[in-house]
This record gives sequence, C-alpha cells and structure tokens, in this order.
Amino acid sequence: MEGNSCFHCGDPCGKAPIVFQDKHFCCNGCKTVYEIFSENDLTCYYDLQDAPGAVPKEIEGKYDFLNQASIVEKLTEFQDESLEIVTLYIPHIHCSSCIWILENLNKLAAAISNSQVNFGNKTVRISYTPQEISLKEVVLLLCKIGYEPYISLEDYNAGPRHVNRSLIYKLGVAGFAFGNIMFLSFPEYFEVQEYWLEQYKHFFRWLMFFLSLPVVFYSSSSYFTSAFKGLRSGMLNIDVPIALGISVLFLRSTTDIIFDLGSGFFDSLSGLVFFLLVGKYFQQKTYNFLSFERDYKSYFPIAITKIEANNEETSIPVYQIQQGDRLLIRNEELIPVDGVLIKGKASIDYSFVTGESHPVEKSSGDKLFAGGKQQGSVIEMEALKSVEQSYLTQLWSNDVFSSNKENAFTNITNSISRHFTIVILSIAFIATAYWVFTDSSKAMNVFTAVLIIACPCAIALSAPFTFGNMLRIFGKLKFYIKNASVIEQLAGINTIIFDKTGTLTSHHSETAYTGKHFSADESLVLKSSLRGSNHPLSRALYALLEEHDIVSLDHFEEHIGQGISSSYKDLELKVGSASFVGRPQKYSGTATAVHVSTNNEYKGYFTFFNKYRKGIAKLFKNLKDDNELVILSGDNDSEQANLEKLLPANTKMIFNQKPEDKLEFVKFHQSEGAKVLMVGDGLNDAGALAQSNVGIAISENVNVFSPACDAILDAAKLNRLDSYIKASKESIRIIKWSFVFSFFYNVIGLYFAVTGQLAPVIAAILMPLSSISIVVFTTVCTNLLGRKLK
Amino acid sequence: MEMQQFYYDNKIVKKFIYATILWGVVGMLVGLLLAFMFLFPNLTDGISWLSFGRLRPLHTNAVIFAFVGNAIFAGVYYSSQRLLKARMFSDFLSNFNFWGWQLIIVGAALTLPLGFTTSKEYAELEWPFDIAIALVWVAFGWNLIGTILKRRQRHLYVALWFYIATFVTVAVLHIFNSLELPVAALKSYSVYAGVQDALVQWWYGHNAVAFFLTTPFLGLMYYFVPKAANRPVYSYRLSIVHFWSLIFIYIWAGPHHLLYSALPEWAQHLGVAFSVMLIAPSWGGMINGLLTLRGAWDKVRTDPVLKFMVVAITGYGMATFEGPMLSLKNVNAIAHFTDWVIAHVHVGALAWNGFLAFGMIYYLIPKLFKTRLFSVGLANLHFWIGTLGIVLYALPMYVAGFTQASMWKQFNPDGTLVYGNFLETVSEIIPMYWMRAIGGTLYITGMLVLVYNIVMTISRADSKVEDELAEAPALSRVTGKRTASEGWHTWLERKPVLLTIYATIAILIGGIVQIIPTLVVESNIPTISSVKPYTPLELEGRDIYIREGCVGCHSQMIRPFRSEVERYDLTNDKQYSKAGEYVYDHPFLWGSKRTGPDLHRLGGKYSDNWHFNHMYDPQSTSSGSIMPSYRWLIRNELDKSMTEKKMEAMVTLGVPYTDEEIANAQSSMLAQGTQIEKNLYSDPDFATSYEADKAASGADFVEMKNREIVALIAYLQRLGTDIKKSDLDNQTAQN
Amino acid sequence: MSVIYILLSISITVAIVFFVIFILAVRSGQYDDGYTPSVRMLFEDELVKKSTKQSINTKPD
Repeated sequence: MEGNSCFHCGDPCGKAPIVFQDKHFCCNGCKTVYEIFSENDLTCYYDLQDAPGAVPKEIEGKYDFLNQASIVEKLTEFQDESLEIVTLYIPHIHCSSCIWILENLNKLAAAISNSQVNFGNKTVRISYTPQEISLKEVVLLLCKIGYEPYISLEDYNAGPRHVNRSLIYKLGVAGFAFGNIMFLSFPEYFEVQEYWLEQYKHFFRWLMFFLSLPVVFYSSSSYFTSAFKGLRSGMLNIDVPIALGISVLFLRSTTDIIFDLGSGFFDSLSGLVFFLLVGKYFQQKTYNFLSFERDYKSYFPIAITKIEANNEETSIPVYQIQQGDRLLIRNEELIPVDGVLIKGKASIDYSFVTGESHPVEKSSGDKLFAGGKQQGSVIEMEALKSVEQSYLTQLWSNDVFSSNKENAFTNITNSISRHFTIVILSIAFIATAYWVFTDSSKAMNVFTAVLIIACPCAIALSAPFTFGNMLRIFGKLKFYIKNASVIEQLAGINTIIFDKTGTLTSHHSETAYTGKHFSADESLVLKSSLRGSNHPLSRALYALLEEHDIVSLDHFEEHIGQGISSSYKDLELKVGSASFVGRPQKYSGTATAVHVSTNNEYKGYFTFFNKYRKGIAKLFKNLKDDNELVILSGDNDSEQANLEKLLPANTKMIFNQKPEDKLEFVKFHQSEGAKVLMVGDGLNDAGALAQSNVGIAISENVNVFSPACDAILDAAKLNRLDSYIKASKESIRIIKWSFVFSFFYNVIGLYFAVTGQLAPVIAAILMPLSSISIVVFTTVCTNLLGRKLK
Repeated sequence: MEMQQFYYDNKIVKKFIYATILWGVVGMLVGLLLAFMFLFPNLTDGISWLSFGRLRPLHTNAVIFAFVGNAIFAGVYYSSQRLLKARMFSDFLSNFNFWGWQLIIVGAALTLPLGFTTSKEYAELEWPFDIAIALVWVAFGWNLIGTILKRRQRHLYVALWFYIATFVTVAVLHIFNSLELPVAALKSYSVYAGVQDALVQWWYGHNAVAFFLTTPFLGLMYYFVPKAANRPVYSYRLSIVHFWSLIFIYIWAGPHHLLYSALPEWAQHLGVAFSVMLIAPSWGGMINGLLTLRGAWDKVRTDPVLKFMVVAITGYGMATFEGPMLSLKNVNAIAHFTDWVIAHVHVGALAWNGFLAFGMIYYLIPKLFKTRLFSVGLANLHFWIGTLGIVLYALPMYVAGFTQASMWKQFNPDGTLVYGNFLETVSEIIPMYWMRAIGGTLYITGMLVLVYNIVMTISRADSKVEDELAEAPALSRVTGKRTASEGWHTWLERKPVLLTIYATIAILIGGIVQIIPTLVVESNIPTISSVKPYTPLELEGRDIYIREGCVGCHSQMIRPFRSEVERYDLTNDKQYSKAGEYVYDHPFLWGSKRTGPDLHRLGGKYSDNWHFNHMYDPQSTSSGSIMPSYRWLIRNELDKSMTEKKMEAMVTLGVPYTDEEIANAQSSMLAQGTQIEKNLYSDPDFATSYEADKAASGADFVEMKNREIVALIAYLQRLGTDIKKSDLDNQTAQN
Repeated sequence: MSVIYILLSISITVAIVFFVIFILAVRSGQYDDGYTPSVRMLFEDELVKKSTKQSINTKPD
C-alpha cells in the first residue's frame, strides 16, 4: 500500500498510521470498516477502486429518532409486516466500489433482502425485514461502513417519489407514429399513378389517420393547454400558433382523405409534434444529484431529543417542538428553533446560515438562533419559538418563495411569437380573401395551407436547442443551471450583488501571528496542547500550524470558555482569551484571536481571517463596466478596509444585513428597474436569491447543500462568472439568428401556400428540413461558444 | 427473502459452444468446397448430392442456423443466467432446445444434399423441419422468458431486451414465411405465388438477417464486450435508445431486396426508405461498442478476445453502412445479382458473426474450465489469419461485382451488347474466384487453429465444467397494500415479459386468420390472359429445377433495363418480366445471384438436343462454362407417382387445373415426353448412343421419354413462351 | 397483392407490441437509472467461493 495514504479513505495517515494486516489506516474508523469487510469477504471493495471509502463519523445517539414508528413510517416508501422499503440519499456514493458494497449489504445483514443503487441520484433503495432489522439498525450499519445517509426534514413527508415520465411517453408515441406514418406516406410521394397503389392508398391513408390520433390527442395535449392558458391571460405565446397549426393540419388532412382530395399531411403533423417534443426533452437537462429547490428543511433534522420534566430523554419530531421545551443538542447537531442556552458550553457554527465558518461562543443565558450547529460538548436549551416562527425560518413565509420566476417573465420565443402570430393570421386572411374573389374553390385550401406552413416549428426549436446545449456546456464547466430561462435572465442582468462571507471568501481560514517568536520547545508544547483540546478554535489552529512531533504533556487543563493551561518539563503555556493568558493591554481587534503566553510572559496572538477566493479582484474589474456591483454582508465591517483595497472604487458595500434586509434590498433595486443577479451561499441569502432575477449559489462541494437558487456555481469557478454571463448574452444572439433562418423557411413555404400549390410532399420536405437545419445551426454555434469558454 | 442459493447451468453452455465449433467447421468446409467448385466445376463429378446447387443451401443453413445459431444460444444461456441471477427456467427445455436444434441441423445436412428443398433462401428446409424449428424456438423463448420471470435482479439489462426481441420476431417471421402446403413427407408448395411469394420471402429474408444475425449478436456484444474489457459500456442510455429505435423500424425493411423486380414500385421505395433510416440505429450500436473500448486499447493490444471483438464491431459497422447503400435503387441496379452481394453478406458473416463468436468462445472456454487459454499466441495467430482471410475474401468479390456489372451493361454504338455472350463476363472474374477461395482457406485455417487451441485448453484443464454455485436474495415480491407508484412496480415486474408471450400468440392467431381469406381472394395482380398453368410434365420439370437448386445460380427475373432485355428476352418484343407471368409460380424462382445467365425467357432459345447435351456436359455446348454436369438427370427415371397430388395441391392454391386435366395427367406427360424424345432423335449422335444403350440393357430399361431430363427440358422450353406482344397490349391497356 | 395486408398488419402489430412493451418498461422504472446497470453487470459477487465460505464459518468471534 502506498506509504502514507489511508488504505480505506486515501487520506494522509500522518506520522503514526494505524497498521492492520500491513495496511495503513488514518484512523480507527477506517480500520474498523476494513475489518468488517475483510471478515465478510468483501475486500474486493478495494480492488474495484483505490481507497474508495469514507471515514465513519461519530453518530452516538444521532439516529435515536428512528426508533419512532411515526417517523419510520414517514421515511419508508413501503411498509408491511414482512417488508419495508426505504430509499436513502448517501452523498458519499461516487464510484463503482460504492455501488458494489451497497448492493451487497445483505452479506453484512441477512435481514436486508435487496439493495439497489441509483448512481446518478446517489441513492440506495433498501428492502429489509422489519422484524429482524429496524430502519435505525440499517442506517447505523451504513454509518458503520462509512456510508452515512443524509436524512433531513425534507424527507419527512417524502414517501415514494414518483417521477413524471409523461414527456417520455409523449415523445415515444410521437416518434413511433412519426416513423410509421412517414413510411406509409412515402409510396404516394413517389408513385402517384402506380397501378397497385390505387388499390392500397386508402388503406394506407386510414392507417396513417389512426396512427396520428394519439399524436394529436395525447402527445400534443400540452401545447393545446398552454395555448389556451396563454389566450385566457390575453397573451399570444408560441404555443398558440403551434396548437393552431396542429389542429389545422389534422382537420385538413382528415377532410383530404375522407373526400379523397389527397394523402393528407399526417407525416408533417406527427413529425412536427415529434421534433417539438424532442426540443422540449432536450431543454430539460437535470442534475439529479443537485437540488435547486432546497429550503431550510433540507438542513434541519427530522427529530430532536427533548428532555421531559422527569429528566427522561425522548426524541420528538421538530415540528412538535413547543415554546418552553427543553432540548438536548449533541455535537454536530443542528439547532432547530430559537432558544436560550441553559446548560453547557455552546460554540455554534452558523456557516449554513451566514457562510461564516468560525463558531461563535455562547454561554448559558445567551440566545441561540435556529440553523446553527453545535460543536463540541452536549448542551441543553429551552425553545422560545416553534420551528416556523424562528428568526431564520420565518424568512420562508415571505411570498417570494411561493412565486415562480419562470412564469413571471415572457421569454424571447413568446415575445417574438406575439408579432409572428399576428402577421401570419393577417397573411392567411388576406390570401384567402384574394382567392375568394379569384378562385373561391381554392380559398379554403390556401387558408389552411398558410396556417400549416407557418406553424413555427423552427422558431419553437431555436431556443430549446440553444439553451439546452448551453446548459450542458455550463454544466461541464461546473456551472449548474436550473433551467433554460435562467440563461435568458442572466443575459439581461445589470446589477450584481455579492454576499461576502463564504461567497467572496473561502471556508478555509488563514491565520496570522503577531507577537514574539516561539522557541522550538514552545511551539512543540503549543502544538501538543492544542491537540488535547477539542475546542473548535484550538482545532482550527492545530490544523493550521505546521506538522510537529507530539509529546505527552506533564500537565494539561482546559478552562471552559477561557483557554488551555499546560506544562511540559519546566515550560508553562497558556492559550486562550486575552484575559486568560493575561495580555497586558486590552485586545481591540474585531477579528477572532487566540492569545498565547509562556511562563506567564505574553507572547502574542493568532488572528483568523477568511481568505478571499482567487481572481475576485479581476472578476470585479471585468464586471464593473456594464454592471453595478454591490457587496451585501451579514457580518460586521471588519473586512471593509481589505475589500476597498481589493475591489474597484465604485463597488457599494453594506454590512450587518439581516436575511430580510438582503431580500428587501434586492426588491428595492428591482423596483428601480434593475435586473439583479444575486450571488450568495448561506441560508441567510436565500431570500435575496429567491427575490433576485437570477440567484446563484456558490458551493465548494456541489454535493453538500446550497440554498434554493436558480444556479449553482462551483466556488473554484467563481472567477469565470463574467465569461459565463457573456456566453449567455452570446447564446441569445444565436437564437435571434436562427429566428432569421426560420423566417426564411417560412417565406418559401408561404409562397407555395399563398399561391395555393402546397402539396403534402412539399410540407413533408420543408418541415423537417427547417427543423433539422435549425438544430444543426444552434448546436454548432453553441459548441463553438463552449470551446471559447474552455 | 433470505439468501437463495442456486447453480448456474454451465454444462448447457459448454454443449452449445461445442456445437458452435463443430458446425462452424462443417459449414465453412462446405463453403470452401463451393468456392472451389467455381474453379473446378466438376470437382464432385456426377455425384448428385455433392452438386453445387444442392450444397449451397447446406452452406448457408449450416453457417447461419448451425454455427451462428448455436453461438447465439451459448451466449444467451450464459449471459441471461448471470444477468438475471437465476438458473435457466427449466433444464428440460434447455436440453430440448439443444438436442432439438442439433437434430434439425443433422436433418438439414441429410435432406438438403438429397434435394429436398423449398428453394426459398434461408428457409430451404421442408415443412416437417419448419414445424420442428418452430417448436424448438418456442421452447427456447419459453425457457428465456421463464427465467426472466423468476429472476433475482430487478433491472433487465439491455442485452436481455435484444434477446426478447430476437425470440418474438424470429418466431413470427419464420411461421409466416413457412406457410406451405404439403404434398408429401418432404415436399410442399408455398401458399403464396410469384410476386407475393417473393415479397413474403424477402420480408422474411431481410428480417432473418435483422433478428437472427444482428439483434442477438448486439445483445451478446453488450454483454461480452464490457465483460471482456471489464469496463462499463460507453453509454448505457445510448444502448437503450438504439435498441428501441432499431426495433421500431427494422421490421419494415425487406422489399429492398426486390428493387427493379416485378414488385410494386412503391413497395420498393418503402423498402429503400426504411433501409436508409436504419444506418442511424445500427451505427449507434457500433459506436457504443467501439467507444466502450476507448482507453482500454492497451488491453486490446494484448487480449485476443478484445481484438476479435473490435474487428467484429467494425465489420458490423461496415456491413450496416453498405446495406443501406446497396438498397439505394441506382446502386442496387448495378450490385444486384452480382458478387458484390456475396461480398456484403460475407463481411457480415465472417467479421461480425464469426469474429464475435470466436471472441466469445475464447472468453468462455477458460472461464468454464477454470483454467487459462492453452496459447494466447495461437489465438492471436487465428486472429491475424482470419482477418487476412476476410480481406482476401471481400475485396476480390467487390472487384468481381463491379467488373461483372459493368460488362453486363456495356453497349456497342450499334446498340448491340459488347459482351453478348454471358460466358465472357464469367471467365473475366475467374481470378477473383481464385483469390476468394484462398481467402476462405485462410479463414477456415484460423478456425482449425481455434479448434486445436480449444482442445488443448480443455485437455490441459484439471477441472471439468461444473455448474457454478451462486447466491442472491429473491426479489421482494411485494404484496398487500402499498402506495400507488409501488403498486405499479410489482405489477409491472412481470408484465412486460408476460405481454410478449400473449402478444406473440395474438399475432400468430391474427396472422392465420388473415391468411385464410387471402388464399381464396383472387389477388388483383394484372393478369395476362395468355399465361397458362404448367403442363404436368413441366410441373415435374420445375420440381427438378427446384430440387437441383438451379435458382442458386440462375435468376428468373429480367429487370427493366435495356441491358437486361437485350441480353435475356429473345421473343423479339424486348419485354422485361411482368408480375402477371408468375401468377402460377409456387414457389417463386426469381433467384438472387447470376453466376449463370437469367432463364426467364429461355424457352425456345435452344433446341431440346442442346439442353440435353448441355445438361450432360455443359462445357461441350458452352466452352468455359463453370456449370457442373447433371448426368444423373439423364439416367434417372422421372417419378410420376405424385403428379396428380401435386396438381390438386396447386388447385387448392388457386391454380386453375380442371379435373380432367388432372385425370389425364399421366397421358399428357407421356405425350409431351414422347414429343421431346422424338426431337432428341434429330441428333444422330444421340440416336446411335441411345439405341446402343437400349440394346445393351435388358427389360428394366427406362425409355428417354420417362426420364427426368425430359421433364426438365419441357420446363426450360416453356419458360417465358406464354407472353406475347398482343396480350401485353391488353394488359397495359388495363392500367 | 393481398399479401400486402398481411405483411403490413404483421409488421405494425409487431411494432405496436414492442411499443407497448416500451411504454410499460419506462413506467416500471426500468430506464430511470441510465448508468448503474452498466456497472452492476460487471460484478460477479453472486458467485459463492467455497474456500471463503469456510473462512467465514471458522472466523473467530
């Protein structure tokens, strides 16, 4: 096994790796997993992939809530006495080893009858016998082998998620009918006067008719409904001319074959619908491992431990928490409601909320806000509010979360269709009028022909294929976009608002030391002492100091809320708050600091500060010309000076913003006609993200959670944001060009139509030709665009 | 729902592999023999059951149904068990499938050389075998679907879909194409006549290729290529899309085999359109297969299994691209009836089917015997010889195709054909036939190397093939109340497969019901008043023509090209073949290859004597001819015992023989025979030798008028003589 | 050419049958996961290796 990386998880094992069966392990957790596998003859887990594992987390008591039948019932998608089926989301799923081990769970627990992985969704669907193994045991088993499932409030009323596959059915129907109809209509195009054909063409035509029925009444139903909705809201969306075209095609063709006027346009009809649906399908690129719809529910636990009057611990669903309940919060557990700290030493990590990675110290009597994560020892708190009314969660009562942006604005296609439809209809009527006077027999023919040929298939396809392709290109570049309309919105923005912490700054903090130099012994003892403490700051500092041998200290004592005092040989060391280590003058900095003194002589202090992501300055410079830039932060203004140095002069900076403030700020700008792009990461940005025209959530690891938004951008790619915006603008231009193309086709078609000589075969050629050439054009252009982006 | 233990049936797989190898060798040997007969026509001089016409169907059947067929079964039985985590549904069915199939093959190997044939390509076997095939095939499907039902793996891997499709469609195709009316234990007539028969035959012919040589092998590809390369298939989604699009349209393409024939124009166009559409889904498969190996090329370099598979997939790509090209009318105008088609099918057979089968064998044998291959070197040798063999086979055949086609079509300024004598076009391509024979030799040498390598591997193996113990939990058959979407699950767990069964049955019944009326309905082919049923003797002659497999080298279809009417129509009105001329042809004898000239208007071109001598010694009448002699026709007595029954059968099929015609069959045959005998006397040599012969032999001497040759001459002289200009005018007036 | 009717109806019937199967397969969720099956088919974990079985039985605990 290669020297110092863990055989199980691949992490560095440090100076003293744990060796088992002459394999190195970084920690006992990994070793245990390996033991489990080797005992059950599952070690080929490691053959499929090197070091595929994850370190099993400490989960003492975390899943006690799974003892509650009510909760289990909510989580499982099927339950009866002999069988339960649950689908669990496991973020760690990442390679074929994961699939292999998870589908072999039954080798670890016979009561698990079947487990099937869906790699794309990172879920595993487990069937097991409840009498022999409980859901909790299943989950614990998963945790034990390093595949901790993520169970959140979101799953609470999940049940079996049923996928909506109607589009696939419609596509299938249309494709099937299109294929067969096309081939049935060929003969007449080739050999109209052929002897045998006379005998069979009626048979063929009726066959086509019946094949086209499901296309018209099932596959294209969505167009009719949407057209109807559009008309009712007095808006000529693109589906109006489409629906018109489809119905005219169908009626005209049917009359044609009934009165034996011709073979009808059934192939064009089914082809049209087929292509349109393909476009629709292509446009919806889904990242099933991402969710754009998350609200606080995805972060909050399902249940929490409540301490009854008789000091008995029971776990209750968070929705049942009432004011005055006493709650027990364990290490790494999330505070579900606002409350007051009663017992224990709280250090709360609000990074979910603010993006600020440094825990905040709280002592009993302090107020705790929902959304924070307790680090370290167990604490007790008293609930002041229920979940919904809590400081953070009430943000979601704001109605921006219920409104749907996509419907709010008319997309480019619909805006063009407004004029288009009017023009077409007028052409149709004028032409008809003309023919009524010259040759009235042809009038109806012309009228229908115009509507048929003008059916804006190509136009309707331009946007879907352009955006669909852009979605994929962006996706490859780690910029995951919710849907096509976001690209369009993005192209239009003129104001960009950034959250600071966690967005512009990375989660990995840096430390700077100011003070006297440490001797070798001193730094040795310092490192050793820090190692002993599990206070978050100590741990952070320990991680940041360079590798060092560890000695066992003669004396070590942790003073809760103050610091550590330790001694080694004749060296006494104090680490902690300024007062604790006895700093002569008062410490005045705003940033969090850890002070050190040796033998009661003050040495100096470490300050933590967040590192700005690289390329920020350049990004802002590129953006400032055509956008107004704002920084909207929930923190104090300690960083203002740094930012001013870093960013262009005209950048607005506003600090100490509550979640609502951010939302209101966005709203206000919009009311002044600004098209706002909000870039944030924490739950406190959720309101702003939802309110803004485009809300982009920055995420260092797209598998962990980001608030509801329109797009998720990998933090590493933040500095490319400007080029992405430019690309969106480009794609709009592409669409406009392809519109020009399709108009060109329409003109040709209209010529045949207006002059009353539109034969089915012409339609049959023109329609696919236009559609396909549009698809090719947009695809080629967008790919060129994509190449530029790389 | 605890673990269930079960054994994978490896023995059946082993059996099928052995059969594959055995029949592979046989089929290829026969092929090689045939290849050499192009060079030495009388290689098997005078031995009727070793004559070219009779061995050709043996070759095609042995290679397609014996070699490829057994390979399919081997692969399906191996992969399905593992993909479904279950033993085959019934060991009885497995063995029934195996032994039944081998019996049919043996039967074919016996009857075809003896001249029992329906003369429909790839469906030559007579009716008892057709029934047997149907039975065995259903047993196979039953076994497969049964296994799918009791599977322990919820998801059906894409390969299984290909297998299901194979079963259903082949069943349907086989049954509808094999509808025939028996007149004797090993003699039957197709229920369809002429054009209709041709259409059904090529609808079958094409889809046989589609669903016997393509879909199952794609399934095997999707199993064995990833397995051998140990990496997932390039795009599973693509594989699914490509399966369904293939299934949706493949069933349609068929008529393209009859371009420019008397088939309705629009039907031809239909065929072309479909065939061209087919490129997309076919290449989907090829690309997916090849890309699966991307990044594994280092493996490919060392592992013969993967090498074979790469060439196989490439061959598939070439064949599926060439196919649609060939089906384009203008290309087809050149390629049809020439050796180009031979090249096309052999690229498919030798590369795609052959090499994939080899790859599979080299992969499976060591796995089954839990040992290593005896010699990777030999396997690589096989690979290189084989590949070279394919190249040496295909290229010359393409050249031959072009040469022949161009020579057939060249005109002198004065409007006469440059190569008026068909033989010129034959002798021109003899060198190509030589190279083809060499290529074939190389290929079969490779096959023999495989045999040696496998035998050694097996003999070295210390363990025998034994069924593998496996364990997997049963699928949780969820019962009782459950949420809506879940209810769907279990319900559908079984439904798709059940549905296939029901559907197949439904189609069959539906089809039969369709058939019955159409047999009585006189079909609306433009009839030509002067076209009359064959006389009893001609009918017997026609059956000899069928028996000897003349259709293997001679077409009876003059296509509407100046070059063809100039060359083949001798009733100076230069008419191409009309659908109306075939109305009494059960079965049709259009043929698919012109090694010799077209015979549709042969009647009256030569004297009876010419035919007599030509059959006795072709080279004597036409020097340089590569037609073998058919002496036995001249010796054998004609069996007239069946004639009435045959005519009655024809009546049931709509041929207007009157009762008295049937009653007087014998006398009319005698009369016509005597006439021909008289004509033969016009040749003094014949007279002398025949009289001498007569004198020499005793009482049991068979008079010439009662010999087979006479019947054949009668038939040949009848060909195309019915059609006269006047009638054609009437007919063209109709439409 | 009455045979046309037969061929067409057979072809279409077969096509429709497959189409129905297709719909059912999609519904049953056969195609929800477009990746995992291709990996799953590579595993041969269901095979029981005699030797290891013993080792499990004789494992000390």
